[in-house]
Amino acid sequence: MAITNGSGDDALLSKPSYALPSPLAPPHPTANHNSSSSSQPFPSLTRQSASYSPLTDFTLPKGEARHYQQQYADMYFARLAQLKPSVEALAAEAWSEFEIASETARKVDRALDVRQGELCWVIGTIYMEMPLKPNILDDIGKEHWIAAPPPRVKFLTPGGVGGDQTMLEDESGRLRLVGGALESMLLVTGAIVAVLGTENADGDFEVLDLRVPDLPRQPVRWEREDGRAAASKQKVEKREEGGKVAIVSGLGISGDAGDTLTLDLLLEYLLGESAGSEDQSSISTISRLIVAGNSLAHASPVPPRDEVGTNGQKKAPHAKKYGYDSSAYNAAPTDRLDLFLSSLLPSLPVTLLPGADDPTSISLPQQPIHQAMFPHSRTYQSPPKSSPAEPGSFDSGTNPYAFDLHGWRFLGTGGQPVDDIYKYVAGEERLEMMEAMLRWRLVAPTAPDTLWCYPFPDGDAFVLRECPHVFFVGNQPKFESTVVEGPLGQQCRVVAVPSFRDTGEVVILDFETLEPELVRIEIFEE
Amino acid sequence: MAQDYSEYLAINVLNEQQVVSYRTLSRALKVHVNLAKQMLYDFHRKQNAKKPSSVHATYLITGTRVAQSTSKTNGIYSQDGEDTVMRSSPPIPGSSPTKQTGDSGEDEDIPTRSVLLVRQEHLEKATATFEHIAGKHVYSLQPGSLSDIQVLSDCNRRIVSTYAAEDPLVAWKQYGTIQDPNVKRRTQGQRPPPPVAPPAAKSAVGSKPAATAGKPATLERQASRASDVSISSAKATPEPNGTANAKKSAASKPPATKRQSSDIFKSFAKGGSKAKKETPDTSAAPSPALVPVADEPMGGMSDDDADDTVEDAEVEVRAGSGKLRKDRQAELEAMMDAEDEPMDDTAESGIDSRTEPGPKQQVEAAEELAETMTVENGRRRGRRRVMKKKTVKDEEGYLVTKEEAVWESFSEDEPAPKKAKMAPVPAVAKSGAAAKKAGNPGQGNIMSFFGKK
Repeated sequence: MAITNGSGDDALLSKPSYALPSPLAPPHPTANHNSSSSSQPFPSLTRQSASYSPLTDFTLPKGEARHYQQQYADMYFARLAQLKPSVEALAAEAWSEFEIASETARKVDRALDVRQGELCWVIGTIYMEMPLKPNILDDIGKEHWIAAPPPRVKFLTPGGVGGDQTMLEDESGRLRLVGGALESMLLVTGAIVAVLGTENADGDFEVLDLRVPDLPRQPVRWEREDGRAAASKQKVEKREEGGKVAIVSGLGISGDAGDTLTLDLLLEYLLGESAGSEDQSSISTISRLIVAGNSLAHASPVPPRDEVGTNGQKKAPHAKKYGYDSSAYNAAPTDRLDLFLSSLLPSLPVTLLPGADDPTSISLPQQPIHQAMFPHSRTYQSPPKSSPAEPGSFDSGTNPYAFDLHGWRFLGTGGQPVDDIYKYVAGEERLEMMEAMLRWRLVAPTAPDTLWCYPFPDGDAFVLRECPHVFFVGNQPKFESTVVEGPLGQQCRVVAVPSFRDTGEVVILDFETLEPELVRIEIFEE
Repeated sequence: MAQDYSEYLAINVLNEQQVVSYRTLSRALKVHVNLAKQMLYDFHRKQNAKKPSSVHATYLITGTRVAQSTSKTNGIYSQDGEDTVMRSSPPIPGSSPTKQTGDSGEDEDIPTRSVLLVRQEHLEKATATFEHIAGKHVYSLQPGSLSDIQVLSDCNRRIVSTYAAEDPLVAWKQYGTIQDPNVKRRTQGQRPPPPVAPPAAKSAVGSKPAATAGKPATLERQASRASDVSISSAKATPEPNGTANAKKSAASKPPATKRQSSDIFKSFAKGGSKAKKETPDTSAAPSPALVPVADEPMGGMSDDDADDTVEDAEVEVRAGSGKLRKDRQAELEAMMDAEDEPMDDTAESGIDSRTEPGPKQQVEAAEELAETMTVENGRRRGRRRVMKKKTVKDEEGYLVTKEEAVWESFSEDEPAPKKAKMAPVPAVAKSGAAAKKAGNPGQGNIMSFFGKK
């Protein structure tokens, strides 16, 4: 492989480009380096800026305003009520002239109104009955006797659809769905769909066709800023062209040695200190870093079942088994993360999303990691009581998180919803699951079934009202990206961000084209 | 250049056998990092010319690498993916076919830049794996070959510790770090002092905070009893105590002991305790830390003991903002005086948990004073007076149901319950959001005497 050296290749492998003061030669004019003035051969770069404004869709009320008295069933009903109109419109349009054997499909309002032999369509929530799903009653019953089985990769009953059933449920009742058409469809509990078919002799609903709400309306780029400017009659200031955003996830800082060097390399790369001048100038166009979850390993307040009481590492036998043993607390990971962020923040604004392993709430929507965790980086955050519209350089966000960056609407999660959907379906394609989430208009469809979540009192906050321009999901096994198109011409760039700890990859997204590119940071091993 | 870099490197790498990265060099000599990289290269070359292998280097190469077998497969996986049933079904009907970059060798589609750290002995091999090299520079120098490359992260750690005093926004420009023009940083001054001060200030303003009244009282009690009955003070301490933001204060102990002498005297002079209260007020050094005293959870403190400690201590005043104490005292006094008579009247129907013959009024008052509540962080915890119904059989065989006030500890995070509460319950100094309601006159005729305070 011929090595084509770029022009700037050996520039840094050369003698220093200023004249050394030698006792004999007269002092060189460029020998004065008190300031990084233009006499310096190396320019100092400034970072490109991008306007950033977060949305508070997933911020939960604090303190007493947060109630847990309501039932989760209400959440399903609210979701159905919110999405029913759009599904209805789509289904009506698709099936209004649907005929089989000169029988037209009729809309049925309630699941229980379906009559045998009648071709009709009905809207409801999908419920997947899977015996291998985690079942709270089983958990409680078995807890005292058996050690926890290893967590299942998939909930599907092996060997076919033996125990698994798909049901359609609405306020009135349930219908069991059968039919060959179901095999090819991606369905998980919680998706709102319209199904066309008929009831067969067994009382099951045989499905002929299925419709989902599909992508919601997509805001135009800069819509929010323009709207605000118009409302306040201000002139919109000139916007910069270009710029990029870097997305990384799964830093997985655990305090052990062995992961620090790649992190350092990442830090230096983003600061523009490492790499050649050509790289450095392209790095200066990166206007923000988004950390999408799992920055710490083993920092979740509720450890996985088999690790309860071990704090992520084997504990001495005399250590406390139940309850919290504060002597086992290791502050090194958080310190490391704080150090990383505080070294990065003077140069690059950061948005931090929590993930499954991060020290914040377990149930979705995970609340922002508290400022107290970052004693050094805290100064770059806005004070706790300030309005969310003015975040500091360091924005600690919820999971999932929605924000406007340089006019584009971004929506991101730390990966838990996609990982949960993965367990329901037989396929391996994560991009398809992410696309399905967009088409169902649900950021977390399997909540609250197998994904812990907050019982929203006023409707499901996970319902997508507006289609984002970029949908990124962190902590995926590998990098993938595609563009999802909607019926109204919406285009959403879907990005699966791999875990940095495993792959060393950082995704860089260009603002003008929304095309991703990768930067892989590695250490050469034989 | 103020300092000769060769000298610096000679000292650090050769003499002190340390690893020097371009970052440490740039910080030490206050130069641009690119310049530091050049310096490292130059030194490395010169030293090795003089004495081969005296100095080893690690390099950082950026560029695009040749697609490797270990990276994303170029088609093997995707081909399987297309055929097997394992793959998830075609997406939901209604969706347009999407371009799956994951299928076709995405490495070709997605430009991938590699940043590779490599030791000097592997440099040729590593450069051979690159298709196009955008940049190559020396990352660090060390005296011997690196056995564990992770040692390099130590350099950055040293930088952080050594140069922690530098203000990044000022100093980093000279190092060549990319500057963010819009960086928003809060002033690095002190955060608003811990919530201790505001409540003290607030109450000092003069409003009569019924809230804080009882807290310092209990506090004083527990302090004053230190000398008398160690048990009682131990028992008293568990009482939740706190103003707007309860914080533990170790300082509570020293002032307590300091005033023990006067306290003992005070404990016997109930009437004169008022005068005594003033003195410790003014004399004691106002220490804000004392105001929100120990926030110890209310243990299962038996009411009997509470009464013991409480009745004598009454309203001992601890150091704190003088006005604060005075206000509270006045309130407490008023409260206690008012309750003297009614409490005497209520014979058995008195509080049933109070079994001792001690002066009921003091007990009463003390009980009220002991009614505490910690600041909420969304939770209200503490002891409070609750109306409980007690059904007793009269002499004539009638069942009489009476309303009585009973102490109980509670912990809740809902808006203050609407139950009937004793009046001057020392609630939190926060604006009466947490204020307990006064005794509800309609509920029991006994309590109607206390009314609103």
